[in-house]
Amino acid sequence: MSEKNVIETDVLCIGAGVASLSTALVLLRRLKAKGAEKLPRVIILEKGRNIGSHILSGAVIDPSGFEGVLTPEEIEKIPIPTKVKKESFQMLTEHSSMPIPWMPRMMHTEGFPVGSLTKFVIYLANLCEQEGAEIYTGFAATELIEDENGRIIGARTGPKGLNKNREKKSNYLESETILAKTVVLGEGPAGVLTKRVLAQKNMFGMRRQSFAVGIKEVIEVAPHPDRVGEIMHTFGYPSDMHTYGGGFVYQVAPNQVMVGFVYGLDYTSATANPHKLFRKYKAHPVVEEYIKGGKAVAYGAKMIPEGGFYAVPEVYNDGLLIVGDGAGLVDSLRIKGVHIAMMSGRVAGETLAECWLKEDFSKNELKHYEERLKNTSGWQQIKRVRNVRASFSKGIMAGVMSAGFAWSTYGAFPFWQVPIKRDHEGMKTLLESSTDDWDIPISPLSMDRLTDVFLSGTKHEEDQPCHIHIIDSNRCIQECLPKYGAPCLLFCPARVYALENDNHIHVDFSNCLHCKTCQIKDPLQNIEWTLPQGGDGPRYTRM
Amino acid sequence: MHVIVCIKQVPDTANVKINPETNTLMRDGVESIVNPFDEYALELALLMKDSHGAKVSAITMGPPQADVILREALARGADEGILLTDRAFAGADTLATSYTISQAIKKLDSHPDLILFGKQAIDGDTAQVGPGVAEYLGMTLLCNVKSLEINNNRFRAETSHEDGTDLLEGDLPCVMTVLKEAPAPRFASLSGYIRARKASITKWVAADTGAEPSRLGLNGSPTKVVKIFSPPVRGCDMKCEWKKDKDKALQSIINVIKKKGVWK
Repeated sequence: MSEKNVIETDVLCIGAGVASLSTALVLLRRLKAKGAEKLPRVIILEKGRNIGSHILSGAVIDPSGFEGVLTPEEIEKIPIPTKVKKESFQMLTEHSSMPIPWMPRMMHTEGFPVGSLTKFVIYLANLCEQEGAEIYTGFAATELIEDENGRIIGARTGPKGLNKNREKKSNYLESETILAKTVVLGEGPAGVLTKRVLAQKNMFGMRRQSFAVGIKEVIEVAPHPDRVGEIMHTFGYPSDMHTYGGGFVYQVAPNQVMVGFVYGLDYTSATANPHKLFRKYKAHPVVEEYIKGGKAVAYGAKMIPEGGFYAVPEVYNDGLLIVGDGAGLVDSLRIKGVHIAMMSGRVAGETLAECWLKEDFSKNELKHYEERLKNTSGWQQIKRVRNVRASFSKGIMAGVMSAGFAWSTYGAFPFWQVPIKRDHEGMKTLLESSTDDWDIPISPLSMDRLTDVFLSGTKHEEDQPCHIHIIDSNRCIQECLPKYGAPCLLFCPARVYALENDNHIHVDFSNCLHCKTCQIKDPLQNIEWTLPQGGDGPRYTRM
Repeated sequence: MHVIVCIKQVPDTANVKINPETNTLMRDGVESIVNPFDEYALELALLMKDSHGAKVSAITMGPPQADVILREALARGADEGILLTDRAFAGADTLATSYTISQAIKKLDSHPDLILFGKQAIDGDTAQVGPGVAEYLGMTLLCNVKSLEINNNRFRAETSHEDGTDLLEGDLPCVMTVLKEAPAPRFASLSGYIRARKASITKWVAADTGAEPSRLGLNGSPTKVVKIFSPPVRGCDMKCEWKKDKDKALQSIINVIKKKGVWK
């Protein structure tokens, strides 16, 4: 480590998503409001090429998260002008749909902003910069640094300009070191550093995280001004009765519809193909009604941590706070996490502001983050629905009943922890899995995976070390292929994996959308997702 | 040695769309980047800094938010950034742009050693501004440069054209436009961005350049854009499935190439 490459800051946030940005914003504003003489230096690192490049969500945003982070004027000006005007819940079967006539109050979203989270994050980032936070994009933090007492004291960025054999190219850029009083991890779902630190410091929650993969398109349609603000959430088809899956259709502008399909990664069929399910979903009559004649213009995929209450890890450690999706802070019934991410950012910011005033960033002070987090309304929601997700793994009826109990008993029943398998466990063999010969022609509304990948804008320098490691490639062919039929070929929403000559899994890492589904779902746990060169990956602009 | 590199902010043409009704660029969802050819020009300039201790000045003309590309240049190692920004510059064609930039360069340094441009900008694809500036300044011009060495005030450069490569030698000062075959652009380091964030960018309005107002922007532009459109999508002649039968797929590709007369 050469001296010239050490950068010193007070707070280092890793990942420029809603949680990190809320942390930075609240920290700086609280201290200004308290008349602090000197403000801390806040550096935010983002691996995406630009702010928002790797941000994807539905998104119907529960505005309760704005409170204490944004001023009323700023809330007024958020770049999501459309509000939910009319919402419906539908239970789908293959050819028909049944509106669900009644939903408990906690599910309602009338008046909530609906639109692109990417744009919201760009807006938040601008506010942070105005308050003096420094945001640097295109830098992946690949390593946390500890002192001799095990305290996290900073992070290192990955090098750039390595060729595929890990040799330095003419434009090689070495790693840089950033030292900080506290590191805020806001990497989002299944972050590389988060995963590593949870394991190293044994910070896992009562159980491991459960994920779902969400696939989304923005579709341009003929103008329907009357429909702006109409949203629909669906259950059932094309999911099977045992998989927690559902879809959404949001008319966010007269000519723009966002369509998404979310599929629980504890699904059991080796032949399941989430992208194909997404295509099936778009072809269903109730969905087609909103998008017919349209054309997909943007695509993306990301995981959602839905494990809820029991899967939330310890959210702080010496020198470290974990915020947002990285800590699994998602209401797993409504599949909403943006507001809780903002709440976690708010209380992280408040905690760090106090640390700064007391000049004490010890673990003892950082623990107030956890206490504050547990007092937020977001945490109460997570707790109330703590058994819903696991119950859905027992079938849709168990899930719906559990949701009903969560609502009627404020989460008191069931009082035990409903168990759930880890996502990669329980996959049926190829022989036990049903085949699916559903097919419709490729069209602007139903693209193949590679065309969709193009719409994500994803880009990776081709001459760099492959960031997706297959730990033992022999197992792919000898174990996985005969037993499961190599499900990586199907579950990857970006078609990163391809079977060559029936004896080799080829990894087209440049297609990768950074969703990390492969690492979670691979039944042999034979895939390790690492960080590619900073700045690479999808280029979402309106997800 | 003083090297001036002229760079431009352009929309990322990988996903540019034209509004069919107004024939204007749809900006929603399109990011702005440094013109890729200009990154190679900047790299050549920075190599001159590394090898000869040259001072590198980056110039751009554009709206106020174009300062981000100057900060990118500073982060990579340029010494100063000059932003030409004025409502009066708006709507300039290549003639007015060349004039404006040449006036700014004169103001900045009456005797620069080397002025570098990317071969062309990926939005307009004209490749005229570099040569235009050379003309206004009465300087030697080399187009399509892919390598450059400088010794004792003489340059030795390789340039590319349809029939091959020329190796040219001559005296500085000189204007060059640079190809992507030149050395790969470097990455800015995090420390570079931190430095660039604090650096100040020089902003010049029309009056600062000493240019004649009538020759700037729309007034100084004889070219009028009548229509912008996306070229029609060309269909493909054939689609072959590699997976099913490799040899058959290869043979059908060969047949198409032969049919077109490219290969007998």
